[in-house]
Amino acid sequence: MYIRRWFKKRWIVVIIGLAIADILVSVWLGQQSYRWFPPQASAESMLIDDLFSIMTTIGSLIFFGVTGTLLYSMIFQRAPKYDTSDGPPIEGNLKLEVIWTVVPALVIVGIAFASYQTYDRMAVLGTIGPKAMGMQSANAAPVEAPVAAPAAANDPIEVHARQWAWEFYYPQQQVSSTELHLPIDQRALLRLSSEDVLHGFYVPAFRIKQDIIPGREIDFEFTPIREGRYRVRDSDYSGTYFAANQSFVVVESADDYQDWLTMAAAQSPTSAPNRAYEEFKRSRENPIGLGWDTVEPAAPPVVNYDNSDEEAYE
Amino acid sequence: MSTANLDSALNTKAAVHGAEHEEEDHRMFGFIVFLISESVIFISFFVGYIVYKLSATDWYPAGFEGLEVREPFINTVVLVSSSFVIYFAERYLHRENLWGFRIFWFLTMAMGGYFLVGQAVEWMNLPFGFTDGVFGGTFYLLTGFHGLHVLTGVLLQGVMLGRSFIPDNYEGGEYGVNATSIFWHFVDVIWIVLFILIYVWR
Amino acid sequence: MSNTLMEPPVQESLQPQPGAPDNWKRFFTFSTDHKVIGIQYIVTAFVFFLFAGLLAMIMRGELLTPESDLVDRTVYNGLFTMHGTLMLFLWTFPMLSGLANYLVPLQIGARDMAFPRLNAVAFWLVPVFGIILTVSFFVPGGPSQSGWWAYPPVSLQNPTGNLINGQFLWLVAVALSGVSSIMGAVNIVTTIIRMRAPGMGWFKMPVFCWTVLSAQLIQLFGLPALTAGAVMLLFDLTVGTSFFNPELGGDPVLYQHFFWFYSHPAVYVIILPIFGVFSEVFPVYARKPLFGYPVVAVSSLIITALGAVVWVHHMFASGTPGWMRMLFMFSTMTISVPTGIKVFAWVATVWGGKIRLNTPMLFALGGLIMWVFAGITGITLGSVPFDIHVNNTYYVVGHFHYVVYGAVVMGFYAAIYHWFPKMTGRMYYEGLGQLHFVLTFIGANLNFFPMHPVGLMGMPRRVASYDPEFAFWNVLASMGAFLLGVSTLPFLLNVLSSWARGPKAGDNPWRAIGLEWMVSSPPPHENFDEIPVVVSAPYGYGGDEPLVASEPEKELVGEYS
Repeated sequence: MYIRRWFKKRWIVVIIGLAIADILVSVWLGQQSYRWFPPQASAESMLIDDLFSIMTTIGSLIFFGVTGTLLYSMIFQRAPKYDTSDGPPIEGNLKLEVIWTVVPALVIVGIAFASYQTYDRMAVLGTIGPKAMGMQSANAAPVEAPVAAPAAANDPIEVHARQWAWEFYYPQQQVSSTELHLPIDQRALLRLSSEDVLHGFYVPAFRIKQDIIPGREIDFEFTPIREGRYRVRDSDYSGTYFAANQSFVVVESADDYQDWLTMAAAQSPTSAPNRAYEEFKRSRENPIGLGWDTVEPAAPPVVNYDNSDEEAYE
Repeated sequence: MSTANLDSALNTKAAVHGAEHEEEDHRMFGFIVFLISESVIFISFFVGYIVYKLSATDWYPAGFEGLEVREPFINTVVLVSSSFVIYFAERYLHRENLWGFRIFWFLTMAMGGYFLVGQAVEWMNLPFGFTDGVFGGTFYLLTGFHGLHVLTGVLLQGVMLGRSFIPDNYEGGEYGVNATSIFWHFVDVIWIVLFILIYVWR
Repeated sequence: MSNTLMEPPVQESLQPQPGAPDNWKRFFTFSTDHKVIGIQYIVTAFVFFLFAGLLAMIMRGELLTPESDLVDRTVYNGLFTMHGTLMLFLWTFPMLSGLANYLVPLQIGARDMAFPRLNAVAFWLVPVFGIILTVSFFVPGGPSQSGWWAYPPVSLQNPTGNLINGQFLWLVAVALSGVSSIMGAVNIVTTIIRMRAPGMGWFKMPVFCWTVLSAQLIQLFGLPALTAGAVMLLFDLTVGTSFFNPELGGDPVLYQHFFWFYSHPAVYVIILPIFGVFSEVFPVYARKPLFGYPVVAVSSLIITALGAVVWVHHMFASGTPGWMRMLFMFSTMTISVPTGIKVFAWVATVWGGKIRLNTPMLFALGGLIMWVFAGITGITLGSVPFDIHVNNTYYVVGHFHYVVYGAVVMGFYAAIYHWFPKMTGRMYYEGLGQLHFVLTFIGANLNFFPMHPVGLMGMPRRVASYDPEFAFWNVLASMGAFLLGVSTLPFLLNVLSSWARGPKAGDNPWRAIGLEWMVSSPPPHENFDEIPVVVSAPYGYGGDEPLVASEPEKELVGEYS
């Protein structure tokens, strides 16, 4: 066909055109990738979303390039029907092989380096003030900011995970709650502990996660930057009612936060509704046992504040 | 297309034609491959022991001061020496001195048996058990697993000793004896590392 | 351009045709013939694949709705645990052992494996621990419900208080699986290193054998670490030692190290032979040599070596220090280089060839495309900051299902269709094969692609219930799962009816180059009447170099044009 001959003669133009199309689609996908996440509710989330956008662009580039080449071959390079001869005896091409070893290696190093930088910045990010540079691990003790700030003076908020409930305890105000409250734009300092098995503290909107190891206290920090109510999920499989072990985190203005603490401290501790416990009780009442033996859920948390009836979150 | 290639291939083919139906003995190669794999289990246990010891705050169980080293050291000397004894046994067999082989082979078994008895006696006299903390667990796990291998070695040696009485047993080679001997050396080397880790390193 | 060698003189075999219908009983015996054992492995594994797939479909049925309303939570947890366990230990490992068993001796010009009786023992352990795992569904307390990782302390909780419980049986089964695998590994490694035909230097050996060797080396040196961890867990569970029990001073994270030190390289055990299958299939159906054969071959060993030092990337969110996370991030990223080399080599092999889209080629191409996607999501997972968000979410589940279904299962199907005529002496029905491919490709993408967005949105894995915002993608995924279930039907129909009464296949229906294609279909009992002398690597399409040296008086058939 005339069109095919036209393309064949100007194959270099076609290749460049396709490559440009690939780049455009990949860049577009990279931009789209921000919408695939929950809202950016923490400073860390912005860094991670940027990193993922870059990886999406590069990944799409490679994927469409490889798949496109294969599809082209599958469609246009088929053996003619009664042709039993072989293709060209091409066994290799040193230049090509070097290129496709070195270039991916460089890309990988680039991605690794970008990731390293992101991880580093996650640890030092905060609007409290300049922090000491250096590697922060999840085991870091709360770091003193050279600029004194209110948040740094607080004890870490204690996060108690158990089978199957979350309990948050504010030691200075002696407030316990099944819902985590945090002031906006302040570095949140948490101390994670488990009373029984492995759990995972995961807030998708913050893009942060830390496994909780029984027998250890793990210090953990991040900076919420957006007011709202978000999901907290247990991310490390913790037994029968693992999927039901969820809670909420509320990010609010510093004033609202203080008001909440005061209000909660004034309430006397009551037993909070606990999904795992309630399901377990119901299954016990059912004469027909439809499941296998399970570890009994811990008693529901007895806390000053509970808001688990409220189902809305972002 | 290279005719030189083809010629040499045809020559090889002619040479190999005669040997074609003689199955090479791959058993020793396979056995050594297996031993290398087996050593990784021990290495894993060693790594576990090291990690536990380095990260423990209270390493020994309450009231326990440390392991008695004298008897285990004697056991070590006996076990290591038995590697030389088994080597001599192999040499005798290679020179077709069957009774020399049997005597030294049996001596190896006796030394292995002495080691096992010594291990059992040590176990019985220890004030802590398998479930007494991480130290108790790793101690009995390591020495027990090793002891199991010593026992296996002694049993294999027994089988080989019995087979030495079958007429013409070594017509097809001495694979069984050689493999058992290598296994014994392996058990020995493992013990040396174990002894250093558990009894020497404080 | 001259063609590849047409059929060499047919090897007259005095053996009765092993594929004859009345010989099916030999598959239920303690046969030491590697070809019988290979098929025993493959069929047994496929049965467990279907069983574990059924478990998956029940899971996807539960996940159609956000609530836990189909089965009890304990049942769901047992389902996902056993689905993973069965798929790994009773599907992928035995199936790949089976392929290797069948093909390696034929491809290297040997009569059998180095240790035929050990081979049979290794196989017969598989139904034993398969039965143990199946029985575990029926003991009080049910099967293990701690995930296929069996992380303590959950795996130590034992609500029934019985000594013989699902977790105990699980550990025994995994230990037996390890014994079987190590037996197989010793056998295959010895065979490949010591029993290649005369003339077959390392760089004349088919890539499939290279990848199998690389995979079995991992089994040899990695499995014992899992065994060590499993033994310690077993003692914690039964006797009350304190290796991993934090209440008694143990360290649960140390278990994770033991576990992943093997289980990460294990994924390379699974994918490497599939890379080998791709390397064998593409040249045949593109009629072109494998591009960059020596590099593709060696990259298998490089993957083995690098694969040994990346395991902590499964623990980025555990209590691991920052320096450790960074170190393993860099090592993890580097694995993509030898893997990428293979991918580009395959694309270059296909490019410019004379493509025939027979079923094996369709599956290989589809598998390659899904593998590229999986590889890319894998690289993203290697990035610590991003992994912190998606670790333990469905994003990971999506990634590895693209690997194990997209690449491994499709590669398996490619292998089966490609070597089916050789194994059975019959040709399968091409139309059914293509239908099977279409259903599988659509089903797999429909099932596993939605897992990525839902993971990015924050849906954890291993959950019997989820928040309502995840429902849309979960419904799509479940539709895909049911389609996958249906897709196995044309395959079963094809294989069973073709084996029984399909058209007879010749020695080399694909006109492929390779020692296995020079013997009858199915091969005679001792494979080769005379061990061939190998002259070149089996990728000489488009050229005229013979694969083997022939007798001087028989002129090289390939010299005509």
